[in-house]
Amino acid sequence: MTVTTDLPAKPAAPVPALEGPSRLRRLLSPRILVVGAAVAVVGFLAVVPLGYLLHDTFVGDHGLSLNAFRRAYGGNTQAGRMMLDSLEFAVGAAAFALVVGSVLAYLQVRTDLPFKGLLFAASLVPLIVPGILYAAAWIFLGDPSIGLVNTLVLHPLLGTSPVDVYTVWGMIWVQGLHLAPVAFLLMVAAFRGMDPSLEESAAMSGAARRTILRRITVPLMRPALISAALLMFVQSLESFEVPGLLGLQNNIYVFTSRIYFVLRSYPIDYGSAGAYAVGLLAIAVAGVLLSTWLQRGRSFQTVTGKAFRPQPVALGRARPWVGAAVLLYFLVTVVLPVAVLVYASLLKTYSTPSAKALRGMSLHNYATVLHLPLAATALKNSLVLGVGAATVVMALTAVVSWVVVRTQAPGRRLLDLLAFTPIVIPGLVLGLALAFVYLRVPLPIYGTLFILLISYCTRYLPYGMRYASAAMTQMSKELEESAIVFGASWWQTFRRVLVPLASSGLIAGWIYILVVSFRELSSTILLYSPGTEVLSVLIWEQFENGQLTTLAALGVCMVLILVVLVLFAQRLGARTGIESDTAN
Amino acid sequence: MRTRMCGVACVFSLLLVAGCGAGAADSGQIRVADVASGAAQKVYDDIQSLPRAQQRARAAELARQEGTLRVYTSLTDDVSNVVQKEFQRQFGVRISMFRANSETILQRVLQESQARKPAADAVESDFLEMTELGEQHVLADYTGPGLARVAPSSRFEGWTADRFNVFLPAWNTNLIKPADAPRHWEDLADPEYKGRLTLEPTDSDWYENVTHYWLTHGRTHRQVDTTWRKIVDNAKVTKGHTTIMSLLGAGQTPLDSMNYTYITQQARAKGAPVAYRLPDGTNPIPAFPRPNGVGMLRGARHPAAAWLFYDWMLDEGQKVLVAQHLTPSTKVPGDTSLKGLNLVPFDTKTLAASSGSWDKRYDEQLRGVLGDHE
Repeated sequence: MTVTTDLPAKPAAPVPALEGPSRLRRLLSPRILVVGAAVAVVGFLAVVPLGYLLHDTFVGDHGLSLNAFRRAYGGNTQAGRMMLDSLEFAVGAAAFALVVGSVLAYLQVRTDLPFKGLLFAASLVPLIVPGILYAAAWIFLGDPSIGLVNTLVLHPLLGTSPVDVYTVWGMIWVQGLHLAPVAFLLMVAAFRGMDPSLEESAAMSGAARRTILRRITVPLMRPALISAALLMFVQSLESFEVPGLLGLQNNIYVFTSRIYFVLRSYPIDYGSAGAYAVGLLAIAVAGVLLSTWLQRGRSFQTVTGKAFRPQPVALGRARPWVGAAVLLYFLVTVVLPVAVLVYASLLKTYSTPSAKALRGMSLHNYATVLHLPLAATALKNSLVLGVGAATVVMALTAVVSWVVVRTQAPGRRLLDLLAFTPIVIPGLVLGLALAFVYLRVPLPIYGTLFILLISYCTRYLPYGMRYASAAMTQMSKELEESAIVFGASWWQTFRRVLVPLASSGLIAGWIYILVVSFRELSSTILLYSPGTEVLSVLIWEQFENGQLTTLAALGVCMVLILVVLVLFAQRLGARTGIESDTAN
Repeated sequence: MRTRMCGVACVFSLLLVAGCGAGAADSGQIRVADVASGAAQKVYDDIQSLPRAQQRARAAELARQEGTLRVYTSLTDDVSNVVQKEFQRQFGVRISMFRANSETILQRVLQESQARKPAADAVESDFLEMTELGEQHVLADYTGPGLARVAPSSRFEGWTADRFNVFLPAWNTNLIKPADAPRHWEDLADPEYKGRLTLEPTDSDWYENVTHYWLTHGRTHRQVDTTWRKIVDNAKVTKGHTTIMSLLGAGQTPLDSMNYTYITQQARAKGAPVAYRLPDGTNPIPAFPRPNGVGMLRGARHPAAAWLFYDWMLDEGQKVLVAQHLTPSTKVPGDTSLKGLNLVPFDTKTLAASSGSWDKRYDEQLRGVLGDHE
């Protein structure tokens, strides 16, 4: 049995009615305590900033008011065009990232593609490079007048400079490539968790490879695909760096660039900023509803009690060609941007390659980075926060996604939605909200690393939730039921059956959160204090100071640190029983 | 049970939020509480009641007892690092600097004041933000010897200018020959710069000053509007003065409509082919010096150190700024940052009273939706 039919809803652990002390004991059981605590924390993390946002947007001097929306969307604000541009950018980038990420994940997990180890490590690089730096690298590559792709390759060949990163297509390209690793990680987890026996049966019955892909693989991957598409759509809506650096040249505004300008103008109109954020929230909620509708009435449990070892699909004669295409992809998306950063990091001031520029190259910027007064503090804080946030979020979401996916608990959809909402609260607004709340709470949280941890956990909760629930959705209920039949308690079942089986997805989520925590900036910038600086703040400082070359050096160092961390996490994952596809 | 727990969390969170009073839907603003510490004011009075010549010594003595100082500043970190080092070296008082853009500093100081948890002792930031802090009564009065060193036009309610950001165009010297460099602000509207010009989307103070200058020098509203439209038509928009400077040096665009002269000078010192002066060392374009300044908080926890920092920024700190190519607000030997420039007064009055309308107007101008001048 691989794809199961939907069974009638049953609680995972039927418990006979108990009275008196037994009832109390039942309430104090690990299941209720763990689940209750996780749900309470998620509720708290999600509701606080959301409540703040709604309050400031809808409450005026005399009660409820829609004036903030009038200011944000009315008059000559060109809100209609802004919304269309936002949608075009977000849909385009999400679709592009999804296609690229899924194809790479399929090749990685299910085929005998060459250079798999390289593929996995290298596919994460765009994720690791902070958005500002990735966008800046693409300016140096795809600017119509100084972009190296134009000046060094296309202009000499074609006589024109056709590449222009400042268009919507340019923005989609940069954002899509930056997001593709997210899709890749999600889909790798999904492909790994899929029992290929259905595909094999289809092949034995004589179905062509294309038919198998269309009729078996894609439908089986549907929940993961939809989940990933939603995540990337919303993340593109919420991203600021690409629209901020590339969009303005041609007057392309999106929600986040409007919010940025509202928060940077004087005096700050918090109501308008909130109204834009609520607009983002509405679009994202529509996305969630659409994805729920697309997944209605189906079951996608593919992890069963049966042992399986996917046989890699032989690419046959296509193998060298696919291998070459993958290499080309990495040349364009990883090698070029990183190379331009390495090149810039060796210069005193940025200039296009010339004999003069090459003569002036030195390691001076790396020396500067090592001597930055805050480098050690920032590295330590980033590590603590990255590991802390990743661990807290994945532990929380493992439990909460179990509630959402595996139980019939009332309110679980609301819980799912709650855990998703932080994704659409732009980082700047989240930072404002958290500062506002924790300045008023009589707890020593404001001005400490803890407020940053809360912020990161809030921001990455939705991502953790997607990874965890994709993993839980795929797991057949029979495994849990057998454990219980054999007398395991809920906690034992959860710890020894569910978590290990979902570990591929959970570790992918952990890695993802670790990496994105390193580059989180928009809420950090409002919440850090002297002593709690992190690496992304250092990057921002260099950017604000126009030290583009030092910034590049810092970026190269950060990429190296994260590559080491990711490889370490993967080894750890391998030790805890995750099959490494690279061994294939 | 789970729903109940979730409900409890929701209610608790909503209570927290509801306790915050009126929202920002109508005014857009979050109200600010009047935070003053009697203890801080007493220290300020203690220092400033002494004869001027003795104030510094007393402040230094008290500051050493306080031991530390927290400053919020929008100085770039290369400059703020030197300021920090020099101040610590001279007085043995440890400074912790929070460095951010001026809007963040303003928002943070106001938010902390509102929650009655002021964390900063002194602030060093831009004109508009310092003016707002002064108007919100967050800053304490300084009457020390530093005031005598600056011109009366550099003294404001609650703060004093310690440096100027001078507004002038900057160009790439490889791409713009001296003969083709602009000589007037109107030249930016010249069709020869079509597609070759950069505008920064938050430069509304520059926009207001140029507009004000034109209107007070014989231009009509209609002429001014037409000129701006042509400038915007010529331009591409890029965020961040320092980013623009890097791209200008790299030759992405030949001409930057306005940058701060010190940013151009710093890039030039690092070898970038950029300039804001003609080869003869002059620039005839009216240059607007925007005051940026220093203030000490009424709710400071280290008031003597804050006073000392204020005083020092108007004295020894000025030399530190000059060494970093910034324009000081006092006369400093060796300062050549204004040499050859055609300085005109910065229009502080209109900007301080405009309450954001120029930000909005500039934004509309850039998006091409600004109506005719009423």
